[in-house]
Amino acid sequence: MFRLFKKDLTLFLHDQRSVILTFILPVILITLFAFAYGSIGHFDGRSEPVSLLVTDLDKTITSEAIIHKIDSVEDIEIIVSDPVKSKDLVIKGEYACALIIHKGFQDSLEYGSAMPVELVYDRSREMEIGILQQNLISILISSTSEIIIKKRIENYMNELFPDDENEISDDIFGTVIKNDRNKQVIKWTPVVGEKNDTKLGLIQAVAGTAILMLLFSVAGVGTSILEEKENGTINRLLYSPLKGSAILYSKMLFAFFISILQLTAMFLFAWLILNMDMSVSIPGLILMIIATSFAVSSLGIFLAAVAKTRQQAHNLSTIIILVMSAIGGSMIPLFIMPPILQKIALLSVNYWGIQGFYDLFWRVLPLKEILPKILILMSIGIITTLASIRLFKKRIMKMQ
Amino acid sequence: MITVRSVSKTFGNIKALDEVTFNIKKGEIFGILGPNGAGKSTIVNILNTLVRPDKGDVIIDGVNIKNDGETIKMIMGVVPQEISLYEELSAYENMMFWGGLYDIPKQKLNKYIQKTLEIVDLVNRKDDRIKTFSGGMKRRINIACSLLHNPKILVLDEPTVGVDPQNRNHIFEVIERLNEEGMTIIYTTHYMEEAERFCDNISIIDVGRIIAQGTLKELRQISDVKDLLTIKLADSNSALISRITSENPLFRFDSTSGSLKVECGNIGNDTSIIINQIQNSGGVIERINSQGTNLESIYLKLTGKELRD
Repeated sequence: MFRLFKKDLTLFLHDQRSVILTFILPVILITLFAFAYGSIGHFDGRSEPVSLLVTDLDKTITSEAIIHKIDSVEDIEIIVSDPVKSKDLVIKGEYACALIIHKGFQDSLEYGSAMPVELVYDRSREMEIGILQQNLISILISSTSEIIIKKRIENYMNELFPDDENEISDDIFGTVIKNDRNKQVIKWTPVVGEKNDTKLGLIQAVAGTAILMLLFSVAGVGTSILEEKENGTINRLLYSPLKGSAILYSKMLFAFFISILQLTAMFLFAWLILNMDMSVSIPGLILMIIATSFAVSSLGIFLAAVAKTRQQAHNLSTIIILVMSAIGGSMIPLFIMPPILQKIALLSVNYWGIQGFYDLFWRVLPLKEILPKILILMSIGIITTLASIRLFKKRIMKMQ
Repeated sequence: MITVRSVSKTFGNIKALDEVTFNIKKGEIFGILGPNGAGKSTIVNILNTLVRPDKGDVIIDGVNIKNDGETIKMIMGVVPQEISLYEELSAYENMMFWGGLYDIPKQKLNKYIQKTLEIVDLVNRKDDRIKTFSGGMKRRINIACSLLHNPKILVLDEPTVGVDPQNRNHIFEVIERLNEEGMTIIYTTHYMEEAERFCDNISIIDVGRIIAQGTLKELRQISDVKDLLTIKLADSNSALISRITSENPLFRFDSTSGSLKVECGNIGNDTSIIINQIQNSGGVIERINSQGTNLESIYLKLTGKELRD
């Protein structure tokens, strides 16, 4: 069996395309995805500021104060413009939205009427609108509330003490607002992802891409059995004193070995080049790599075992790997998907692998907590291995 | 050396072999001749213990294949019909791999590889990848890989399919050399001239049954195929032809070719007699063609079919 393994390894190393597909392409994809997902894992949730076009038609102290307050928010960058140009820029897609403070804004606050404020936006840029919406509502409510309260205190004091100065009302307002500002309504305490510096996006990129590419690599190994059947080398191997089962086991061993090598190389790359924090449970990491490699390599061999010809195996594995990777979270982070897809994802090997690596690198859970996912991956491996052995004996080893 | 007795094998509804019996002596070249699908490969697979016969016995070098398949595989080398090599590996790497399957010590194997490369005349190309070889060279390495464990019996399953004449001759020389060194060779082919060239004994198989077997001489007797003379007359008017065929009942006129055809036991002795008979009947001979008995005519006579590529 060792000779067969050595032969497969030599063939693999001779085939530059396989080496590139196994190691170089995943590295490129991980880097690209890590770059694309980069902001997802920020601990404080901050990203690049969203640009907001602002038009002040009211030009009062109140409207200017509001604009100043919006400008002080880190997530928003103000760009002053006129209403026609603002709308045009949003329509052309250069900005997500424009805030127009119409004339009569300050008066509306004083008289308690509806605020003439308009937000012109592009519906397709939901993420940016979401960030702006959250901040603008918060600023408008707090700022306008302060103005309304102050105005009402002044009016009330003027009615009660028409001859007095405004100092008392200012004191009352200052005390009310100060007390209100000191009040913290909700204490925000992150309990996941705060223990290490790894960004969630990087974990998603490494685990998701590595498992996807792993599936393609081992499907290639599986397909090579059919290739050997088609070019007659399987028959020749059977003419030798070698046992038929040794041929299959050596392929499985080789697929498992390549999987471990590929997955380890991906994490080493993520650690050394992308600064992935490796201060996690090392036994957990080793077991996760072994379990994921076993599950993925067995599945890859199984896909080849189901097919009758090399071309059929190639088509079948491409379709199944892509579908499974899409629903399993290799291509799109699972938490973005609707609940029904998140449930279907449980059927994919990608899901269990990616979630296991989330547990390790994001949640920084100990081995004990990751074991159920490791066991599920091992079970997938065992079931598909047994099915492959049965199918191969029936289809591949049968002589004509 | 090999005794095959009443062997039958059925795959599903197809009877691949039906009561096949033959004997192969040590050191002989035994040809199995038949068209594609006749059952040649099934015989090869049974001899090499890959396929278990439904019925009958196979004894190779005193060992019943049912009892000791491992020993059989060690004394037998099989050259498959397909070029079963790893194209991305060099000739040497292929030979190291295939020879290594027989647990030959590395040093010894290296020596065998060198010797075998000399036999197939590819020493200079040993480090080149198989994918860079011509079809004929691949065939030669295909043979070489089956010789490394020094088998007593070599089975060649259609070893010259798709090979150019030069490489074909090279392969023939290799086979003749191995046989001269005492190796027993089983040669399956559907090329008659190959079987005629070096097979001591030939078994003709069709639809899983042995139609006839023996030496070429014995097959000629069994089939009762005679030599053929084709005579073209200068003038083949119907009156003359009628006179000749009535005076010589063994003469037959072939209207398609416009020639007289005469079957004879021995062309060398009978030609002058036939010429005299035609001249006595008033015929003037323009041209004579002779065709001796060959395997093709024997096969045609026995099966009523022609063997084609």
